[in-house]
Amino acid sequence: MRSIRILSKLINLGPLILLYYLSISEIDSHFENYFEILSFNIQLIIIYFWVSKRPEVLGSGHIFFAGLINDVVMGFPLGASSLSYLVVSLVATYIKNMTVNTRITTDWFSFFIGIFFSNLVFFFLLLNFSEIVINFTEISYNTFFTILFFPFFWFIFTYYNSIITTGKNA
Amino acid sequence: MSSSRDDFSIAFRSALLQRGAAQKFSLVFLIIIASIIFFLDVYGFGFMKPIRSIINDGIYRVSLVASSPSRFLPHATSGITNFINIKKENEKLKKELEVFKMKELNVEFLSNQNKNLMKILESEESYLKKENMILSKVLIDKESPYLKSIIINRGSKSGILKGMPVTDKDYLVGRIVETNYLSSRVLLLNDLNSRIPVTFGNEGVQAILKGIGGNRPILEYLPEDFIVDEGIDVFTSGKDGIFFPGTPIGTTTEDGEVKLFTESSQLSFVKVDISNKDSEDF
Repeated sequence: MRSIRILSKLINLGPLILLYYLSISEIDSHFENYFEILSFNIQLIIIYFWVSKRPEVLGSGHIFFAGLINDVVMGFPLGASSLSYLVVSLVATYIKNMTVNTRITTDWFSFFIGIFFSNLVFFFLLLNFSEIVINFTEISYNTFFTILFFPFFWFIFTYYNSIITTGKNA
Repeated sequence: MSSSRDDFSIAFRSALLQRGAAQKFSLVFLIIIASIIFFLDVYGFGFMKPIRSIINDGIYRVSLVASSPSRFLPHATSGITNFINIKKENEKLKKELEVFKMKELNVEFLSNQNKNLMKILESEESYLKKENMILSKVLIDKESPYLKSIIINRGSKSGILKGMPVTDKDYLVGRIVETNYLSSRVLLLNDLNSRIPVTFGNEGVQAILKGIGGNRPILEYLPEDFIVDEGIDVFTSGKDGIFFPGTPIGTTTEDGEVKLFTESSQLSFVKVDISNKDSEDF
């Protein structure tokens, strides 16, 4: 019984662990060895999906810290990714407040809005307050593939959401 | 019309301020904190440098541990493949060993000759004379569409300063852009922010090697109407006083790009040249 409870807790923490792990580890979603322009940002998809579907799984504080970790690993000024992630989180919370039932198409469209504002904030901060030069073409590809792959992760996370117990019984 | 505006403002305010059962902080609070941290870091307040350095060192170490499974898997796969092929390889090696025994005497002669030639070539500014080299392990080489950089396991404790050149097998791979106590960040030659003064060709043409984010950096500020021939070796010119003149970088292509001698994604160990102690001013 106790082991089941621990397993259940671990499953509930899955998205959070994945978010931290992707932020801190070398594992990334940049596949230029296979296809030069293929890269996408899974962190944004995780944040958007879980904040809009089950906000109790991903606390805002965790999103903030995951952003800070990502900044350190990627070499950006501290806080840039945090702000970008929090903007996605804000859009997701707003959509959650405004809608009752969502489908994959509505989620996909609203994720597009979320990633648009997130990138806008990120570019604004880096271009105006930092000396880092960024390649807009690569970022455009990254954004494009992130949006393109969203439905794929949506199905995976929707299935995962069905086995999570946080907010159901707890 | 006004009711929809009210709905928008209520939902937006709620999204910013609400705290759910598991939320300890509101979004607006965290956005303000993130903004403060960002500006403190960007404008480089004195107290932020040691804090950032400690955070960097800590997170790089944790990142190294967290990345170990992903590093282990390719090693394990190649290990199994090697094990399967080991018999064939053993037979092949036996044959090669006989050939090498034959060549051994020849090698001894050549190495003696090489040592003598090295003594002749050695000069004050030659890249061959590098006594102050620190071997460092690459901790993190996370590919990113934003920055092409790596993290190494040596920092200011080992005497590493900002701007110091980093090489792999005597080929230039980049320069130090961030130092922490136990780790440093190396900006690779193919990063958008990288600019290196170089020279190439029999006439010693001067140019700036500029990273473009892709695999191959390009040559800029060439003489007027200059056409770059393919296959010419490019070296550091040392004009900036940071890099040793004559450090090999890569070969030119007909598009004016430079094919680097080192593959940035394959770096495991690199050497940092700490002989230039003025590098921090770079």
